[in-house]
Amino acid sequence: MSSQAATALIDHHHDATTSTGIPNKKLFMWTFLASDCMFFGSLISMHVVYRVHPPAGSPDPRSIFSIELTSFSTFILLMSSLLMALAVNAIQKGNLRSTRRNLLGTIFFGLIFLSCQVYEFQHFVHAKGMTLSSSLFGSTFYTLTGTHGCHVAIGVLWLIFMYIRSFKPENADASRKPWFILSIVHFLIFAAAVVLGVHVVVAFAHQITAPGFSLGGYLGGHALALVGFLASLAGLYLMGRQSGEVDFNQSHAIDVETMGLYWHFVDIVWIIIFPVVYLLEYF
Amino acid sequence: MTFPSFLRLPARRACQALAVACLPLFTGGWIYGPQSTFQTEGPVAKAQLDLFYVTLWVCTIIFIVVGSVLAYATLKFKANDNDPEREPPEQSHGNPLVEISLIGASIMALVIIAVPTVHGIWYSYDVPEAEKANAYEVNATGYQWWFKFEYPKEQIDGSGNLLTANELVIPAGRPVRVNLRTIDVIHSFWVPKLAGKVDMIPNRGNFLWLQADNPGYFWGQCAEYCGESHAVMRFRVIALSESDFNAWLANQKNPARKAGSLFAGAIDQPRIQFASYTYEKQKRNAPGWSEAFDQQPFAAWKKQQEITVDDNLELVAQGRKLFQEKTCVGCHTIRGHEGIGITGPDLTHVGARTTIAGGLLENTPQNLHRWLVEPNEVKPGNKMWFGGYMARNDAGQWTPTFTINDNEARALVAYLHSLK
Amino acid sequence: MDVTAKTDFIGKDSPAASERPAIFTRPTTKTGIVSWLTTVDHKRIGLLYGVSALIFFLVGGAEALLIRLQLAVPNNTLLSSHAYNEMFTMHATTMIFLAIMPLSAAFFNYIMPLQIGARDVAFPRLNGFAYWLFLAGAIILNVGWFIKSGVPDVGWFGYAPLTSKAFSNTFATDISTDLWVMGLQVLGVSSVIGSLNFIVTIINLRAPGMTMMRLPVFTWMTLFTAFMIVLSFPAITIALVGLMMDRQFGANFFEVSNGGLPILWQHLFWVFGHPEVYILILPAMGIISEVLPCFSRKPLFGYPIVVFSGAVIGTLGFGVWSHHMFTTGMGTMATAAFALATMAIAVPTGVKIFNWIGTIWGGQLQMRTPMMFALGFVWTFMIGGFSGVMHAAAPADAQQQDSYFVVAHFHYVLIGGSLFALLAGIHYWFPLIFGRKVSEFWGKLSFWIIFIGFNVTFFPMHFLGLNGMPRRTFTYDGNMGWNSANLIATIGAIILGIGIAVYFVTMVYTYYKGQRVGRDPWNARTLEWSIQNPPPEYNFAVIPTVHARDAFWYEKHHQAEIAEEQAAHAKAEEAHGGIHMPSQSWFPFLTAMAILTGSLFFADHNFLGAICAAVGIVAFAYLWAWEGPGGYHLHLDKDGNVIDPKKGGHSTH
Repeated sequence: MSSQAATALIDHHHDATTSTGIPNKKLFMWTFLASDCMFFGSLISMHVVYRVHPPAGSPDPRSIFSIELTSFSTFILLMSSLLMALAVNAIQKGNLRSTRRNLLGTIFFGLIFLSCQVYEFQHFVHAKGMTLSSSLFGSTFYTLTGTHGCHVAIGVLWLIFMYIRSFKPENADASRKPWFILSIVHFLIFAAAVVLGVHVVVAFAHQITAPGFSLGGYLGGHALALVGFLASLAGLYLMGRQSGEVDFNQSHAIDVETMGLYWHFVDIVWIIIFPVVYLLEYF
Repeated sequence: MTFPSFLRLPARRACQALAVACLPLFTGGWIYGPQSTFQTEGPVAKAQLDLFYVTLWVCTIIFIVVGSVLAYATLKFKANDNDPEREPPEQSHGNPLVEISLIGASIMALVIIAVPTVHGIWYSYDVPEAEKANAYEVNATGYQWWFKFEYPKEQIDGSGNLLTANELVIPAGRPVRVNLRTIDVIHSFWVPKLAGKVDMIPNRGNFLWLQADNPGYFWGQCAEYCGESHAVMRFRVIALSESDFNAWLANQKNPARKAGSLFAGAIDQPRIQFASYTYEKQKRNAPGWSEAFDQQPFAAWKKQQEITVDDNLELVAQGRKLFQEKTCVGCHTIRGHEGIGITGPDLTHVGARTTIAGGLLENTPQNLHRWLVEPNEVKPGNKMWFGGYMARNDAGQWTPTFTINDNEARALVAYLHSLK
Repeated sequence: MDVTAKTDFIGKDSPAASERPAIFTRPTTKTGIVSWLTTVDHKRIGLLYGVSALIFFLVGGAEALLIRLQLAVPNNTLLSSHAYNEMFTMHATTMIFLAIMPLSAAFFNYIMPLQIGARDVAFPRLNGFAYWLFLAGAIILNVGWFIKSGVPDVGWFGYAPLTSKAFSNTFATDISTDLWVMGLQVLGVSSVIGSLNFIVTIINLRAPGMTMMRLPVFTWMTLFTAFMIVLSFPAITIALVGLMMDRQFGANFFEVSNGGLPILWQHLFWVFGHPEVYILILPAMGIISEVLPCFSRKPLFGYPIVVFSGAVIGTLGFGVWSHHMFTTGMGTMATAAFALATMAIAVPTGVKIFNWIGTIWGGQLQMRTPMMFALGFVWTFMIGGFSGVMHAAAPADAQQQDSYFVVAHFHYVLIGGSLFALLAGIHYWFPLIFGRKVSEFWGKLSFWIIFIGFNVTFFPMHFLGLNGMPRRTFTYDGNMGWNSANLIATIGAIILGIGIAVYFVTMVYTYYKGQRVGRDPWNARTLEWSIQNPPPEYNFAVIPTVHARDAFWYEKHHQAEIAEEQAAHAKAEEAHGGIHMPSQSWFPFLTAMAILTGSLFFADHNFLGAICAAVGIVAFAYLWAWEGPGGYHLHLDKDGNVIDPKKGGHSTH
């Protein structure tokens, strides 16, 4: 990369290189992540400060957490990073099928993580009675993990956009309009799949932990959501079968890579949050 | 070196010289006043002032040296506008030796400041070890917008610590450790002549120490923005000799004075100040001080302790009744009388204070009258108005619950001033 | 990597508008309001920043005058206490976030790309977005003037728990503090986005030969400022998030009764707030470091030291925040550590002063108006620096903290420092931006009125503070010995106001009627002066090649060599398809407006409206991504005029 810097003679808009040889998007993302470090740094320190000086009557986190579930979702998020890395690798080699598969896998794992978090929040509020305002621990816990969850959600949204983007036809000028409408339809189906999917998974998790679980009762209670979910999955499958030349190729590796940087960062933040907020409570 | 350009442009030069000459004019003697940090009256403020002088001298000397060089360079290297085609000067890029020596010199100058600074930090933080045994302890609590003072060493049977408000009386010549607390927002306790400020922060146990070398009367003020009436949140510190202080404590521990019975019948003729003072409605934010008080505040305070006037017992009795009827008792304690509330200042000996309304007004009948009739004009947003005179209705709007008319105010003034 | 890097720059040229659905027709108009709403030109965005900043500067100035009029005499009744508290809150917030910072951003936008020989910033649409977001934040902060809640009155520092619902709401549905929270939040996002853009631009878009150690000092200071913004704003963002959760959803971050620690707000606020001080002053130092060499006709004395001292200030600036909290009872150790760190920061600051004096030493000083402001800056900034050192002596600061001494100190560094430098910068670059030169007489007259008015206003405040007058007080009694100093300060403020008025009237007059000047009227040293004025939209007909630190000065003294080099480059560039320009876009503006709507709904506790606006934000962001960076090519004829594709033979390919 740096050897290209020497050829930077004329015009940045035409030369392949920047002054440093680092693509702008990548540099932008790295700098943004530096900013985000400070962001989560402040947020985590706020949680730690209040955890170290707990006000009277603070709940015992150990009585609230279910460490097994969180360990599971941590593992899932880590695995999503692996898939993300594979997606970047695939697009750099121009392997579109593999890129899409890995993007979908990342989305899927990200959604499992989010579902776990939704379930966890609902469980804490309803079963453990910890809310945003019930205690300082609740305030910092929900704000910290919720902000991280928002980052994951934005990442998932970005991944979905990127996935849909990969279907843009090569010769877009003539067919732009239909492709645009198609992309919106694609997105709406995706959104339906995500919302309904998270709903049925979380509902399932709630039922399975509650006494008197019966599969029939679950299926009956959420039939509509289940049907909708399966239908949207089918829709996604159909949309994914679009053929024809697309313009998504190696030249977009930088976009996927930038997104990957973000995704890995969000994972790393969780790797810090998980021990600080959860594991340290058990020592 | 030539000066002709300096002389050739008299108008511009004169203008510049005038600007520089004006500066000292504005630096005239504005360093004396009731809250001056230059007229220190105790060791903490003295130490802080001494450190300030160190910084001031170091900075002034550097300013004179650097300023002279800058002024000299500006005059000396000024280009002659009539010769724009002159060759540009030598394009020199700097001189590392000069840079390094200047950096070294700056560090030296800072060390001169740093050493006494570090010493001062430890000194002003807490009462020196040797003096600890001798130190007196009080608690100060900030409220929006007044100060409560508590004497943990002075217990009153059945009533806990001795309490007073807005006038902190301390023994002179002894270190005093003030524990700083707040009931609501952040306030800051500042008596410039005695010590620098320390903040009163919720959920945080701050303190400061100060000492008044001699008996005297000192102004203090809240120094952290604390809401609508921050500007008028003031207080006083009165330092007394050991014997005066003990006498004062003994008097304060007494329950409130009973000038007349609550249901008094036949009383003296109303020949005294409370019936005879004239009250005129004051403008919002009008000053509340008499010049006589300003000149001799300490003497005025001492005078205020004396029971010099005969009370108009009928009015006092009326006032005491009104104090209940107008629900004042819900917020103010008057030990020995009916008042039991704790959200407002303790008024057990309010008549012996020189100030009312959080150190804002001189404690004269007229001022007390004004404070009672229109508290929100005197101290906007205060809790006596919002919560006492006014209450929130179901829709969340403030609506009046009661008013105090002229005659009622006179009675209340008579009653409160009888509480010496 | 070769391919990937390429896509950053090569947008496909837009097909003709008729072939595309209306919603994606990118605006191409170069005049009229649409061209401003959709602009991606860093120079136009710089102008937008500048004009908005100056308008808010006048608003903040009017607030300041009201404050001074209220304090002219003891026991004044011009303003009620509530109105006064609103005034000082809005004065500080406006001057810091809506005047000085955006005015610096105006120069970053306009000047910095020209100084490094770039045609635009790295992300032109994002640049526009940062501006519109700034405007949105400014509107949110100021909307209180027109509603019942009024403008915020919690102070620009918003110390908890005064900002809680219990203490800051004068009635149940008072949203003034919520507006403050959302306004600052949006402004923070805007600043961070803008700064990320500047960082990438400076690091990646330098002209060939423009090594880091050849960057003009103003560009260096832009880079440091941008890094400070990027790293310090998250702290206040988090503090504001906590406060927002408290106020909107009943969380406990600063809720004292549930164990919240108000001191934590102060730490988070000043972890941002102290770097913020340097965010305000570093650009000013950069401008001074441009103006002094230009008018001394000499390179900056000790360039590497000036640059590194900027870096040291930027770094140390993150380690001294608690000197704003010396009176919060931090304990001896912490106080001593922060006091010493604060003194240490005086060294790199002092070094800059020495280097500026070194710059004029041995030069040929051209006493033009920018030079006057620059020299005025050095004097007043020195005084402000010295009172700063006095604050660093923590025990002495216990008497100064929150008194008028502090007010005097930071106005000396913010007016005498930042503002003087920015006024110098406006004067200095006015001929470049508008092609007209400001009258020296009126310029110098305004300088002297401003300089005198400023000192008359703020010098007495040192004495007021040491004489025990606390800040943020709407009234004082006549017996405190503060009367004459306050009156003089008010008179000074009026003089200062007149000076500012003269300055701006002169500027407006010059804009319409000023004397036209040709290229490089000051005989300057940096690249921005190498182009014609006003600059064409493509900036450089040929991207320059840099051979020395003061690049333009070198060009002027090696004209033959440079001409040959440029002719060769022009050919090469034309062979590559001409000058690439970014396409205009609606979406930065629309996204920012959706954020404005959402923030207003959110501040008003209307969550449904906020969610609708959030959907709008996502939709606009999607369309933004969908339309892509775009771009088209310009071709120049021999005289440097753009060949119109409709008339000329060339067309965009």
